[in-house]
Amino acid sequence: MPQLTYLEAIRQGIWEEMERDPTVFCLGEDIGIYGGAFKITDGFIDRFGAERVLDTPIAESAIVGAAFGASLTGMRPVAEFQFMDFIGCAFNQISNVVAKAHYLWGAPAPLVLRGPSGGYVHGGPFHSQNPEMWFVHNPGLKVVCPATPYDAKGLIKASIRDNNPVIFFEHKYLYRRIKEEVPEGDYVVPIGKARVAREGTHLSVITYAALVHSALEAADLLAKEGIDLEVLDLRTVAPLDRAAIVQTVKKTNKVIVLHEHARTGGLAGEIAAIINEEAFDDLDGPIVRIAGLDSAVPFSPPQEKFYLPKVSDIVQEARKLKAY
Amino acid sequence: MQKRPESQSKPQLKSTTPSNGSQPSSVPSRAQQERTYALPDYRQEVSEITVRQVRKGEEVRYEVSGDLHAPVPPLRDSKYLSQQQCIAIYRFMVMNRKMETALEHLYKQGKVVGGVYFGLGQEACSCASAYALAKDDWFAPMIRNQGSLLVRGFRARDTMMQYMAKAGSPTKGRDGTSHFGDLYERNMVAPISMLGDLIPVLSGVALGARLQGRDIAVMTYIGDGGQSTGVTYEGINFASVQNLGLVLFIESNMWAYSTPSEMQYRNKDLAERAIGYGIPGVIVDGTDACQVYDAAHEAVERAHRGEGPTLIEAKMMRMKGHAIHDGANYVPHALFEYWKKRDPIARMENYLLHTRKWLTLEENKALLEEVEREIEVEREIAVNSPMPQPESALGGVYCEEGCHTIRPKYGVPKVRKGTGAFRQTEAAVHLK
Ligand SMILES: Cc1ncc(C[n+]2csc(CCOP(=O)(O)OP(=O)(O)O)c2C)c(N)n1
Ligand SMILES: [Mg+2]
Repeated sequence: MPQLTYLEAIRQGIWEEMERDPTVFCLGEDIGIYGGAFKITDGFIDRFGAERVLDTPIAESAIVGAAFGASLTGMRPVAEFQFMDFIGCAFNQISNVVAKAHYLWGAPAPLVLRGPSGGYVHGGPFHSQNPEMWFVHNPGLKVVCPATPYDAKGLIKASIRDNNPVIFFEHKYLYRRIKEEVPEGDYVVPIGKARVAREGTHLSVITYAALVHSALEAADLLAKEGIDLEVLDLRTVAPLDRAAIVQTVKKTNKVIVLHEHARTGGLAGEIAAIINEEAFDDLDGPIVRIAGLDSAVPFSPPQEKFYLPKVSDIVQEARKLKAY
Repeated sequence: MQKRPESQSKPQLKSTTPSNGSQPSSVPSRAQQERTYALPDYRQEVSEITVRQVRKGEEVRYEVSGDLHAPVPPLRDSKYLSQQQCIAIYRFMVMNRKMETALEHLYKQGKVVGGVYFGLGQEACSCASAYALAKDDWFAPMIRNQGSLLVRGFRARDTMMQYMAKAGSPTKGRDGTSHFGDLYERNMVAPISMLGDLIPVLSGVALGARLQGRDIAVMTYIGDGGQSTGVTYEGINFASVQNLGLVLFIESNMWAYSTPSEMQYRNKDLAERAIGYGIPGVIVDGTDACQVYDAAHEAVERAHRGEGPTLIEAKMMRMKGHAIHDGANYVPHALFEYWKKRDPIARMENYLLHTRKWLTLEENKALLEEVEREIEVEREIAVNSPMPQPESALGGVYCEEGCHTIRPKYGVPKVRKGTGAFRQTEAAVHLK
């Protein structure tokens, strides 16, 4: 099996879907001859032509609106945001047009909105955001955030095949930093299913995307002290895999929820509420949140480092919770 | 020079210089080259009526100026419509108005949930525009276009049940007013409240069809107020760049809720915006069904030929308040008087009865009575249908297994592929 980076895995997933299904096409800014700001569609235009690898004006609402319109005719558009930070420019299209279409008038919208998100690359306040919660709070959308090359390929394929609008957050820190064996050819990773990234017995870290790797690193450090961490990689943040969350709580009885985006109104609050509703009696300690600060993501490396969750934060909180 | 297809450079054309920015013909200029742009204007009269805010003693009011006593011109003979088609459009217009009158009564009887919106004075624009579409074309109405729903084959009961929030409404109670669609029979996208958002969506429908090998027309509407939104620009520009068959009607009805169009834009006519997009723009009298149809027909034909979008500005007047709650007391009375003389249905009736003699008095009476009866039947059905069960609020958020089969509407796209195989990329990227 070939070793693929996270970026190559996504590329290959989209490529294979375009080979397989003539209704799949890409649209976005600079995705054609240039191949996209992060080269996800590098070489695609040569293979699939300018009609299916369509360079658009800088107009995020138009990109989403047009993708939605095309999906109404039975196409499966894959729209790229140059950075997920710009998805806010299309918020109304996504929230009021796309997300409500099936509930209000039975219109399936099989489209994918994808792009790079996340920090740790000194991108500053407008190129580091994790805006997934804006969409988790919009019933009708699916929100996918893979952590590994294997999942990234399997999930992008599942997203393209899904009959619902999927927002696919690619963590740009992971693009070329991680590599693993990824099978060539067809497989999908189901949307809405979490994965235990590391089995453990003492406490669970529930997280996703780049922070899965930080949690695993922390687990290795903590193992030396005899603390056995379980790491649950959510993979999809809407709809959440409630069963998997409950299962890990029942197993370890202690939980840390870890995410990059701002703490207030973040995913940890929702997960804590689910645990409260479904596994309150299984808790042996308070649910701990480790999250980004309640501010924009600052630019300067020392500030950004301070803002974002670190391996040392996880180690520290895990020690405290273990001792609770 | 703006490129115009043959069909639009006919004698009606009045050339105007752009009124915004520089005025090449009157201001001496050192420029080497001056460009002029032409906008076909189908109107038989060009009224220069303006509204502005003025202080009157202790109050700030709207004041209207212009020739409010100009005679009403005759309708322009259509280049395309037959006698039968003219009568069909007239019938839809009548049905449009009678349906809205019935809705007004239902509201007064307390049967409507929320408000009622009217297209009074705009029936020609709604009905004659939609009438120009072919079956395979797509369409999305806005709130003033309840008549176009009838043209596309919906029944009056559908709109009535929407207003009464009935279980049998097209959205099964989940949304009201004319907010409903039909992807399968009538190729219609449901509108949403946010103004302008349909424009890129309709452009995308045309894009999807083109990828499947078909050039179709996609028609929608935007108000003189709604066109101020940014998404309007994005949507029209997208259609222009991609040469998609968007037929966009700008419903210039002088008001956006309580705000006159003078406070929405600086251009003389909104059709001028077409020049900025590099697409044809046309002006029509929105109370003349023949002009509306002809402009729509030419734009639809253009779309079918794959020649891209057209912007059509229809000049008319919103003859009621924004919705039923709004008495429109801010509108100077003289303005209503002026436009009442230009009632689209009365004009069409007069045209059919007296100018063309295509309809006798008896035939007209029979038509009006028949529509009246039909509306009464529709009203009965709508009123007597049940409200939804509370639990029907649940479900349908996602398209689940077996809920819809998704397939290309116009045929599987024929794809041509290059020979390049997948290769890994090492190219430099933005932010590592
Ligand atoms: C983006 C947006 N902002 C505000 C509103 C509230 N609103 C509904 S209709 C309307 C006036 C619209 O005027 P116009 O576009 O001229 O259409 P008309 O009512 O005259 O047909 C306003 C402000 C809205 N629907 N959408
Ligand atoms: Mg208006």
